[in-house]
Amino acid sequence: MKPLFRNSLKAITVSVLLLLTTVASVRAQSAKLQMDQLDVLANKASETVEVKLDEHLMQTTAKFFSDPDDAEIKEVLKGVKGIYVKRFEFEKEGEYSEADLESIRSQLRNPGWTRIVSVGSKKEISIEVYLLQNGDQIGGMAVLATGSREMTVVNIIGPVDLDKLTKLEGSFGVPPVGDAIRQREKKK
Amino acid sequence: MNGAMKPKHALCLAMAATFLAALARPATAKEDGFNDVVKAIEQFYHVKHQNIPLLARAGMKAAKTAARIRGGDYKRLAEAGSARVAFFEEQNFDSHGQIASFKASVKNALSVTWSALVQTLAPKNEEQNYIYVRELDKNFSVLVITIERHEATVVEATVAPQILAQLMKDPNEMGKALTDDATIDP
Repeated sequence: MKPLFRNSLKAITVSVLLLLTTVASVRAQSAKLQMDQLDVLANKASETVEVKLDEHLMQTTAKFFSDPDDAEIKEVLKGVKGIYVKRFEFEKEGEYSEADLESIRSQLRNPGWTRIVSVGSKKEISIEVYLLQNGDQIGGMAVLATGSREMTVVNIIGPVDLDKLTKLEGSFGVPPVGDAIRQREKKK
Repeated sequence: MNGAMKPKHALCLAMAATFLAALARPATAKEDGFNDVVKAIEQFYHVKHQNIPLLARAGMKAAKTAARIRGGDYKRLAEAGSARVAFFEEQNFDSHGQIASFKASVKNALSVTWSALVQTLAPKNEEQNYIYVRELDKNFSVLVITIERHEATVVEATVAPQILAQLMKDPNEMGKALTDDATIDP
């Protein structure tokens, strides 16, 4: 084999490997939503809650859920790489815009994301649940709960069993989504 | 060349001196989360903190035994002797609509080893709660900042991972539980 060809082949192989690594990395990261753009709403909100539980913290502490009551939570959290919550409450209606919601929804239109639950009306709280599927595996989940005076975005990274998500309600900053999921089951 | 040092030796000596000086240098800003946050509060709100001894605090608070997690039994959360507390009492906390700037200044005051776990803001009443966590050998160091219109508290405590796991289940109550634990007399 000529040296030039051999070197080129080596370079191409390295490039392809790098590209594959980058693609894999991008795919793995795509479950994490960009939510920082919502921070400006904190100035208008009467209350803002932000929860960030990253993978390291989750995995370090998950093994300490040793109470029998925690068994289900431990099961749901198995493999979860992060929980991120932003919640805004407003005194008046119309303090957040469609553009604010669109900044989240546009990310949820990316390949892999599917809206699996959408319940509610303009008068009540609307809940949308999205799943990110990487092949036959769930790579993440997003919950968008909106009302005229409130907005909550929950982003869970890693595999989550939708049916068991209700076990996290009220814990780790996850809002009640059980009714929405039960309505989905009824529709089925 | 007995009296004069060779340039190579002088360079080595200078490098060694620089290295030793670097090792011996005092802790700089962003290395002590507690003090850095207390300073950030003082600078932003133009207030002064008080370090009240534990015995003096004993009479100030209700006679609860300790904080309670999620309706469970009362038990100590912080590792013995690990809690540091700074009070700001009867002072005016008004960010003049710039609560987001204060949030940013807290973040800037802390080194990257601290992770923001929970942040709650209610600008109307100036109410703010921040919880930052960082790993500390086998335990975790937790920094809780609570601000209201006329008072504030900063607590830093070391907690075991199993305690942190319990607290993480209810992040909104975590700050209160830890602050109560550090400020209420046992």
